[in-house]
Amino acid sequence: MDEQLSFEEALNRLEKITQTLEGGGLRLEEAIALFEDGIRLAKICNEQLNSAELKISQIQTPLEQGLESKDESP
Amino acid sequence: MKIHSVAEVTGYLRELLEVDSMLADLWISGEVSNLSESTAGHLYFTLKDEASQLRCVLFHRARLALTLENGMAAVAHGRISIYEVSGALQFYVDVVQPEGMGILHLEFERLKVKLAEEGLFEPARKRALPPFPRRIGVVTSPDSAALHDIINIISRRYPLVELVIAPTPVQGDGAATGIVQAFNTINDTEGIDLVILARGGGSLEELWAFNDEKVARAIYASRVPVISGVGHDTDFTIADFVADKRAPTPSAAAELAVPHRAELEARLQYHSKALVAALSRGFEQYRQRIDELTRIASTHLGNLLTISREKLRGRELKLGSLSPLATLERGYALVQHSATGEVISRIDQVHRGDAIEVKVSDGQFKSRVTGSKKGLQAWMNSFPSKKR
Repeated sequence: MDEQLSFEEALNRLEKITQTLEGGGLRLEEAIALFEDGIRLAKICNEQLNSAELKISQIQTPLEQGLESKDESP
Repeated sequence: MKIHSVAEVTGYLRELLEVDSMLADLWISGEVSNLSESTAGHLYFTLKDEASQLRCVLFHRARLALTLENGMAAVAHGRISIYEVSGALQFYVDVVQPEGMGILHLEFERLKVKLAEEGLFEPARKRALPPFPRRIGVVTSPDSAALHDIINIISRRYPLVELVIAPTPVQGDGAATGIVQAFNTINDTEGIDLVILARGGGSLEELWAFNDEKVARAIYASRVPVISGVGHDTDFTIADFVADKRAPTPSAAAELAVPHRAELEARLQYHSKALVAALSRGFEQYRQRIDELTRIASTHLGNLLTISREKLRGRELKLGSLSPLATLERGYALVQHSATGEVISRIDQVHRGDAIEVKVSDGQFKSRVTGSKKGLQAWMNSFPSKKR
């Protein structure tokens, strides 16, 4: 499930977890579980940032119909 | 031959004039004269040169900030028609500019005013850019420096996106149509959440497609927010006014489109630290709580012990007071028959001459009954007054 998390979703969840943890008033087990979640999300974000490669595609516009559509992914 | 009415002829002339596309949209230069203003706020004037003159009307709703004066050399935009009531040929003006500007500038100003009045530049209508776009449409010329810059910047800053390039010529005939078609294609493409419209710097003529009314309307109609990055810092195009966000250059448009990697990394680092800090703070709180509870518990335990000790002492005292020894200690004595050991508690148990044993707190002695008397009164009277 986490594999499909987008960077934005992961970052948003991470921010929410930090807030909750900083708010305090949690049971110890809850705090530890949240902490583990947060660290995992931060890792997902970092990995996405470090491993991503820009994807480039080209769509055909009527005017460019003659031009061959090419994929320029590096 | 048919005889026509005046209205028929003026009506026919009006139709003839109004189907002519050149007369429906033209610029005319001349000197302003006979300027007058109606009570409704419409301006009437004549545009003239050495050879000829033309009646003009500028309706109130179309008026500009510019103040017209007699004798002013001006360029006006509008359409030619006939005012049937007076049968006069008139130039219906929508824009007047002072003479001296090039035609492109004039057209630019005219379109700017027109679209502004229509509300295409309304700040309230500008859409917020998505903070983390996933697919970005790029409307530009393929293999252009502008596209190259955009690809470079986005792959360096935030490579988590897909760029979907909608190629189009960006100058010359067909550029405006191409841009409009590129927007249409992007609107039909799934998942695109932001569009960059870009072109490198150039002259007003080279950038002209970005001042085209069709392009302006295509930007306005875009399904997703549009960032314009056309020309250099100082170039402003109509496209810039309509776009949800204007960037001074294609590179700047790319920078506005995506978050900065360094900033994201800083945020992630902040959160990782905050998590650890929050958890240790949590632990610290628990530790303090435990300390507190321990202290409370030991205090209670101490109190309990004290209380128990006191209770115990109370019990000892009570026990002590029940023991016969304590009674003897207080001056009472235990009397028994010497022969039988029977404890004497009633006067009937003894007779004159009986041998008895008397136990006191620290010993015993033998004795003999020399007399007795029954009755409590006698006992009370013989009781020594309380002293030790």
